[in-house]
Amino acid sequence: MTAERRAERASLTLEGVAKRFDGRDRVVSALEATSLTIAAGEFVTLVGPSGCGKSTILNIISGLTAASGGSVLLDGHAITGVNRRVGYITQQDNLFPWRTLRDNVALPLEIAGVDPKERHEKADRWLERVGLGGFGDAYPHELSGGMRQRGSIVRTLIYEPPVILMDEPFGPLDAQTRIVLQDMLLSIWEGARSTIVFVTHDLTEAIALADRVLLMSARPGRIVRSDRVNIPRPRDIFQIHENPEFRRLYNEIWNELRLQVRDANALSH
Amino acid sequence: MQTRSATDAAAAGHAPAPRKPLIGRLFDADNPWSVNAGRLGAVLLLFAVWELGAGRLFDIFYFSKPSLIVAHFAKEMVDPGFYNDLWVTGLELVLGYTSGGAAGIALGILLARWRYVARICDPFLLAVNSVPRIAVAPMLIVWFGIGIASKVFLAATLVFFITFFNTLSGIRGVDKALCDVARVQGASEWQIFTKVMLPHASAWILTGLKMSLPFGLVGVILGEFLVSSEGLGFRLNGYATGYNTTGAIAMILIMMFLMMALTAVADRIDARVMRWRPSDREAGGVALKA
Repeated sequence: MTAERRAERASLTLEGVAKRFDGRDRVVSALEATSLTIAAGEFVTLVGPSGCGKSTILNIISGLTAASGGSVLLDGHAITGVNRRVGYITQQDNLFPWRTLRDNVALPLEIAGVDPKERHEKADRWLERVGLGGFGDAYPHELSGGMRQRGSIVRTLIYEPPVILMDEPFGPLDAQTRIVLQDMLLSIWEGARSTIVFVTHDLTEAIALADRVLLMSARPGRIVRSDRVNIPRPRDIFQIHENPEFRRLYNEIWNELRLQVRDANALSH
Repeated sequence: MQTRSATDAAAAGHAPAPRKPLIGRLFDADNPWSVNAGRLGAVLLLFAVWELGAGRLFDIFYFSKPSLIVAHFAKEMVDPGFYNDLWVTGLELVLGYTSGGAAGIALGILLARWRYVARICDPFLLAVNSVPRIAVAPMLIVWFGIGIASKVFLAATLVFFITFFNTLSGIRGVDKALCDVARVQGASEWQIFTKVMLPHASAWILTGLKMSLPFGLVGVILGEFLVSSEGLGFRLNGYATGYNTTGAIAMILIMMFLMMALTAVADRIDARVMRWRPSDREAGGVALKA
């Protein structure tokens, strides 16, 4: 991890968090009252059919969306609104097109008032770590999708929020780039051990990365299953599909997920 | 450029042959030499027809001719009165353009930030914008007198609305997801404004400033036409009312060169500031720049 100091750690608790949307003639429940505790330094993945409220949970934890009920606690303290201790990496890289990659990555430090020299040096170190050394002066439109997403991830890692939310960050990437970035993410995380809530619809990714896989039901979303992944770390992400524990878990969760996906599709037709 | 032309042509599918025939190379839309030669040819042809046709095909009294215009240019170049008029028009343009542009940007930012006021102002802005600006020119003379103030104000009103609406759209059009990125990282509303909204709007604002430049000159010249005692518009009007077509055409050409020079400067600034934008090449609009 960055050698300067030890990263802060924090646990995350959801107490009866729910989300309803008031439609014109009816109330749609996007997320049933959900309670859940994620230990400090735990890597949790959320899988489920599309539209099951996975992203809603992240939006609520980040504070960008207000919950209809319940509360979110960070280290036991309720948080309201956005909180700098919770980082958020989305599917879209959302790099600012008018900033160079270096200035994009340094943005959170700039917001915090870190002086230019220090934040640029730190940004360069992080870019180096994820194989983007030498691209600091490039503008986002000059980079590939995988490079931009790496930039987006590093932009959050650089300010070391104790909790990091990731919403299908590798979704738009091709299979090979995905696995390279998964490997990169794990090796960084294994040093830093921030608390991560990672949303994906890819079960392989969910098991390969996580300490614990949470399965969500079709809408209205609710957590129907929680599985601990007892595969030792550091993991070889490139070979993990051969691991017997991985295959056992995959089959078990898939049998359940399959039903949810079918339900979700039945609902939408 | 050469290699790019070759790949473009290959991609377009009409140049599988390694070497185009001579005619094809002479009239090659992707070859800047060929294109510039064509442009020069067109200008020379126009001037030749004009010069040789004057007195034969049409009346010199109405249309003058290039040699007379060039001679007139030479006369203007040594006339202190001309430089005074150029200076006055330039001053009016600079003052009107900068004040109108600054006011447009400032009010655009204000209304984009302050939604309540914006809602109140919406219909009034539409109403004011619907007034043909030229129609208020005589009133400006009444209010601001026949000196440079009325011209400055007329230019400023024309420039104002273009930059104002562009600034407003630029700030309102900012992607909410980009604001959220900064917000999650702990940015204050002010930081979101300065680090996300304004940079996003800068492309729009610059486009507004570029678009309004010719309108600034229109305002100044029109004001000078109405009532004035100096300025290029006054000079042009004097020539035209005295049936000096040579002088009038020379003035029009000078205004044209003035505007082209200013536009070129604006383009350079724009290209410099907007380095981050995908280039025309990537956007597929390369023809105009060739």
